[in-house]
Amino acid sequence: MAVTPRSTLASSALTPPLAVAVFFVVATALASLLWGAGPVSAIDALPVLIGQGTEEARFVVTELRLPRLATGLVVGLALAVSGALLQALTRNPLAEPGLLGVSGGSAFAVAIAILLGASSATMTTLVAQSGALAGCALVMLATRSRGLAADPVRLVLAGATVTGLLLSLTSVLMLADQRAADEIRFWITGSIAGTPLSHLRAVGPSLLVAGVLVVLVASPLAAMSLGERAAMGLGHKPGRIRLLVIIAVALLVGGATALAGPLAFIGLVVPFIARALAGPDIRKTLWLCLPIGPALLLLADTMARVVAAPSELPLGVITALIGAPVLLMIVRSGRMPTL
Amino acid sequence: MSYLKHPRLFTALLSTLVLGILSGPSHADTRTITTAFGDVEVDGRPETVVTLYEGALDSAIAVGAQPVGAVITRGGQNVANYIQEAAGDIEIVGTPGETNLEAVIALQPDIILASAWTSEEQYRLLSRIAPTIVLDVPAYQDDTWKRELTLFARALGRENRAADVIARVEQRAAEVRAQVEAATDGGQRDTALVRWMPQGPLVMAEGLFSATVLASAGFEVDDADLVKEGRPHSQPLSQENLSLMDHSWIFLATLNEDGREALAVAREAPAFQRLEANDTDQIVPVDGTLWTSASGPLAALAILDDIEAALK
Amino acid sequence: MTLLTARQRNASANLGLALALMAAVTASLALGTVAVPPEAILDVLAGGGDTIHQFVIRELRLPRVLAGALTGAAFALAGCMMQTVARNRLATPGIIGIDNAATAFAVASVVGTGIAVAPSAMALTGAAAATALAFGLAGANGTRGYRFIIAGLGIGAIAGAVTQVMLSRVAIDAANAAFPWTVGSLNARSETAVQVLAIGLAIGYGLAIALGPALTTLQFSDPVAINLGTRLKRTRALSLACAVLLTGLAVAVAGPVGMVALLAPELARALGRAGKVPLTASALAGAAFMVAADLVGRLALAPLELPVGLVTAIAGSPYLIWILVKPSSRSLS
Repeated sequence: MAVTPRSTLASSALTPPLAVAVFFVVATALASLLWGAGPVSAIDALPVLIGQGTEEARFVVTELRLPRLATGLVVGLALAVSGALLQALTRNPLAEPGLLGVSGGSAFAVAIAILLGASSATMTTLVAQSGALAGCALVMLATRSRGLAADPVRLVLAGATVTGLLLSLTSVLMLADQRAADEIRFWITGSIAGTPLSHLRAVGPSLLVAGVLVVLVASPLAAMSLGERAAMGLGHKPGRIRLLVIIAVALLVGGATALAGPLAFIGLVVPFIARALAGPDIRKTLWLCLPIGPALLLLADTMARVVAAPSELPLGVITALIGAPVLLMIVRSGRMPTL
Repeated sequence: MSYLKHPRLFTALLSTLVLGILSGPSHADTRTITTAFGDVEVDGRPETVVTLYEGALDSAIAVGAQPVGAVITRGGQNVANYIQEAAGDIEIVGTPGETNLEAVIALQPDIILASAWTSEEQYRLLSRIAPTIVLDVPAYQDDTWKRELTLFARALGRENRAADVIARVEQRAAEVRAQVEAATDGGQRDTALVRWMPQGPLVMAEGLFSATVLASAGFEVDDADLVKEGRPHSQPLSQENLSLMDHSWIFLATLNEDGREALAVAREAPAFQRLEANDTDQIVPVDGTLWTSASGPLAALAILDDIEAALK
Repeated sequence: MTLLTARQRNASANLGLALALMAAVTASLALGTVAVPPEAILDVLAGGGDTIHQFVIRELRLPRVLAGALTGAAFALAGCMMQTVARNRLATPGIIGIDNAATAFAVASVVGTGIAVAPSAMALTGAAAATALAFGLAGANGTRGYRFIIAGLGIGAIAGAVTQVMLSRVAIDAANAAFPWTVGSLNARSETAVQVLAIGLAIGYGLAIALGPALTTLQFSDPVAINLGTRLKRTRALSLACAVLLTGLAVAVAGPVGMVALLAPELARALGRAGKVPLTASALAGAAFMVAADLVGRLALAPLELPVGLVTAIAGSPYLIWILVKPSSRSLS
């Protein structure tokens, strides 16, 4: 994908599933504009799309649902891509930012920042990304020192242990200050409601950097899946590739967490579907993650708004309720494709 | 022995007698208080009082008792701001959720006024320390605080003060009501009482203590039927539904020290900017430790002061 | 290392841990908001002393210390058995969803969803339900391999999400009241639950000791263990059942206290002889850790209390990170 995206696309059976996925993302995007927790129904919202409709409908669609759609697209994409990268890097289909404690590290860092009174979006992003990097580093250290990569379960156990610990430590922070506690409690359940566009702008540059990194590492990662020796034979440097992947993952997960809080399972479910459709090649997986990630996230968010109107359910709850059964299904099917 | 030979003892007895007559006959006898955990007997006028509920602290001070221990207000490090001065140098014995029983024992209380949240296990231990009053008064009714005040006052042997205190609050409410009626038009007194949370506003119940005080001052509080029976507030409202709290007045409670800051945060939300009260600048930031956590006559007076100040 | 010195080493490890437990218990009885001088403790324990000291020690501190020691021992013993069966030192009952499910059920009771069952009974129900589900989903493989663990993780995630939904949808005061159940606390325990735990721990400990030799062979590969005469399926099933029972009963008392199940066996292994499964030492270490952590929680922010689960998390985090990143590995890796 990095060097010759067109030829990669053409040389595979990627086009049909990609087309379907793109169709789905358009459909879920439309749905997220049309349905909400408020009195503006799909019939009220539809005229807005062609520049008509009541003043209230226009406000709700353009000022509330559209920014939310934009945030959802970015967050879904970032989480899906980072999940695919982590899975390729660790060769573990269960490696996922939420399960491995990367999101947890990021969230913990932001919880500290909230407690200390941080409010600017740029700073939150930076803090979240630093936390994600620390989480990544811990996971990678654990993988390297204990040969965890060979055993998918051990890595996930390590991640779950770290995540549990970080949650407890976040609870400690919540004891310190009730106002911060209300904010943190909301924030750690994950939501993209009311995230202002300014936050999206603050996250933008770092996500662009991450995007460039992803383009750079895609081909070497694919080569590494053949074994490190093979990759070195092709002139890649595994150590450097690994570092770049980790930085990209930290930027993506940190950015997504800064926008939406820690959302688990998107990074697990989306690459799983993508691999099922396009096979194990990381380049194809990444291509498919681009539309499937946002589609799934927008679907979950639209559900979060509709099922409990006039209030909303936390998005993180919906993704967990969708994602955990998929995890169980993966285990149950016994199809733990090695990467 | 003649009393005249012991003038000091005589004076003491006499003054006790006189005080006893002045303060009514109730304090010397044994009273039975009906609580959530059965009837509790209280003798005389308890001297050392520990309150584990903000409404109890408020009521106790209002009827002239000076509790020696209390729990912190939710979101604070001490008792609520409005009552700090009246409470004086009071020991903190826990949070509204968890009581430090040893701190209670250290104070050697004569009576413990606890919250309706007290669990049976906690009650069992507390009642071993001192008679413990866990009221069983229906919550979120117009007269909840008055009934609590009366019962707490009775437990403290100060029942006769309760009626005076209630009368004082009602008189003050009438004063503020007159000011409200003079300052606002008849159709312009519809009000929402909300707490701004990161995930959206909580609309407070019409029966919540501060909402009943607002009502007594002439405002028409409306919770848009968002609050379930027996709950203090709604679930966080979606930003798409802010119109449900769109009233002439909005009292915006926050746990921040500075309510203005919370208002500024709320105003960042585009949906908030569309509210009618935002246009007319009739959004009043108020202290959540007083408006959403506290209850009792002193809190009522403080809230009425806030309302009066908001008119200017 | 000869057999004799190895045995001596295990015995001295147990003795040392027992002394540590004694020290933690004594400190817990002596220290607190109400100061009780050491000689007064003895008076009270002998049946004398003044009434305040009597109440503080007999009604408050002693039951609490007892609950702490019992839950700590139960968590640690369960952790040690599960780690051995799963051949993974990170495989503790808490990680595989038992804690989360117990919490979800207890919170449902606290926040008033119309369920009238006491939180501790609900917690036990939750723990049992989660384990049954994990067994069911793991299918024919039963307790073996990764399926059981991952199934537990998934169930834990769902239970966690359900807890979040409940906490986000009830009154703030109710959410606060449920807080101890989400982090683990010894302040609001039920006496019945402690008694049930005491009986359960006695049974569980007996079973664990009986399984000891078989568990020791589980540290080798399956063929070796079978050669040594171990009935793998039976040992695994019994050990897991025992671990789940102990965890469920302990969570019903104290809520989901983390890290004890992970760290206490770790400490026990470090002190004892490599090769033997340190069941007694784990239980002692867990009890001492829990009692000490609760004492710290009572004193650190006095007069306010820090729930014991938060203390164990703070105390355990550096050690956990060390376990994750340290280069060498022992037999359980």
